[in-house]
Amino acid sequence: MANDVTNVSQTEEVTSTRRVIAASSVGTLIEWYDFYIFGSLAKIISEQFFPKDNPTAALLATLATFAAGFVVRPFGALFFGRLGDIIGRKYTFLVTLVIMGGSTFAIGLVPGYKTIGFLAPAIVFILRLLQGLALGGEYGGAATYVAEHSPAGKRGFWTSFIQTTATLGLFVSLGVILIVRQTLGIEAFTDWGWRVPFILSVFLVAISVYIRMKMSESPLFAKLKKEGKTSANPLAESFQKKDNLKMVLLALLGATAGQGVVWYTGQFYALSFLQNACNVEFVQSNYIISVALIIGTPFFVLFGALSDKIGRKYIMMAGMLIAVLAYRPIYTMMYDEANLKTKTEITDQTKVEVKKELKGTDSLTTTVTTKAFADGTTYKETVKATVPLDPAKKAELEAAGKLKPETKKEATLPQSSFYKMIGLVLIQVIFVTMVYGPIAAFLVEIFPTRIRYTSMSLPYHIGNGVFGGLVPLISTRLVEATRPGPDLPPADPLAGLWYPILIAAICFVIGSLYISNKTNNLDVE
Amino acid sequence: MSAIKKIAGLLWAVMGAGIIPLAIMQAMKEIATKPSEENWIFWSIVIVVLTPIISFSLITFGVFALKGEYDTIE
Repeated sequence: MANDVTNVSQTEEVTSTRRVIAASSVGTLIEWYDFYIFGSLAKIISEQFFPKDNPTAALLATLATFAAGFVVRPFGALFFGRLGDIIGRKYTFLVTLVIMGGSTFAIGLVPGYKTIGFLAPAIVFILRLLQGLALGGEYGGAATYVAEHSPAGKRGFWTSFIQTTATLGLFVSLGVILIVRQTLGIEAFTDWGWRVPFILSVFLVAISVYIRMKMSESPLFAKLKKEGKTSANPLAESFQKKDNLKMVLLALLGATAGQGVVWYTGQFYALSFLQNACNVEFVQSNYIISVALIIGTPFFVLFGALSDKIGRKYIMMAGMLIAVLAYRPIYTMMYDEANLKTKTEITDQTKVEVKKELKGTDSLTTTVTTKAFADGTTYKETVKATVPLDPAKKAELEAAGKLKPETKKEATLPQSSFYKMIGLVLIQVIFVTMVYGPIAAFLVEIFPTRIRYTSMSLPYHIGNGVFGGLVPLISTRLVEATRPGPDLPPADPLAGLWYPILIAAICFVIGSLYISNKTNNLDVE
Repeated sequence: MSAIKKIAGLLWAVMGAGIIPLAIMQAMKEIATKPSEENWIFWSIVIVVLTPIISFSLITFGVFALKGEYDTIE
């Protein structure tokens, strides 16, 4: 009889554990999905809402890209963090989910610039800011909620499921986009089909809201509230009191800044490098990233669980150090694998097709060159030259240097190189899982319950949003700086790696010197 | 260990303070050489967003470290 009662109690505990993790993780995954589809469809969105010939709309496009990523997210962290420490975790991260889902759904419904003019980019810009705000509030809530339900020895394992969501969110967004694109065809997808992934979000959010509504408040916060010990001003307590501020700074400079750059390099810079420096074809490059992400995802849980045994610090710092040392060799191998100069061209298979057509008052010449290489690589170069028929306009554009043809380079790699690329990206994803897997548990454990949501959200979103979010911008700039002339290739295509290497190296030194490894078994109070 | 933490603290604070003039000088130099919109946006982000965050956090962190605030964390 006693055994039966124990078994029932254990079964209930396991079910409850799974529900807490599922309710938090699914919602966070959907938020990431919502955030990423905007980025993944940035080119189409730009054509629909932000026409290049309207400078204000083009400026809004730039702001929408950057502001949502690194300005609004920390504000979201402060706003919702404060709310979460005053009214509770459950309702706050329910609100962030509804805002994110509502904004994403609405983006899918906004008429294009051709239909409603300037109102279109303005509405999309506001909705994008709301997305950033909601994302800023979501992660801290989910991580805190799960951590406050978990026992001391299993906090790294439990919260690691939250850590998988950012990667899975990217994977799901790429998957949905590729499926819709394949099903509808490129033309229909570019015309209206791109709205489907946005509209689909509302159903995912509805399911997640339903699950979260059924959950109870975090036990630690509920206890605090019952005793009347919640913070009246979490912002002041978090950032004006020296004892807490010093931990916020330590979390940022010793952990989240390095984690942010390692994460962005492994997931986003790798994709951009494949497409722009290695010229790997769009679908193949996305497959490389997707396969590496899906193989690498279980490692979040592995390193999260391992951090419960050997400590958060050792795993996070090892991930940063290995990343710092290995980035240049890895990217050199990626570059060499796709470098056409080192491959043998089968010259009798080279084809050149030239097509001339009239487009309004312009003449468009499209030259497509296809090449085959001995190792199985195929290469396609499309050059589009648009020249005005009016000689005066042509001379004017020529003088302004605006008559440059558009060139698109696409290399399709053979299977052996495809698998090698997956392996090289996978190694980077494993670095990501080392620094990212244990970090939620680490952040939760260094701040007290009464101000935890606020205190952990800010360093996380500055680390990821600002330091990590700037990887594409700064790295591209560093590569451009090595370009000897406007139309010449960069002298060092790997120069972009110096930014993540430098930030991760400083973070490694600060983390190793100042962070304690004794946090893994702390009782959070 | 405590002495190393304090000496390193001085390094972080100096680094944080040094970044401000370096970033501003580099921005002025690059914008003067090529005053394109792209350049303006890039350096605005670096000067308005990144530099204050890095400087404030490094200086404050360095001062805390110098005062021995992190000595109790083993």
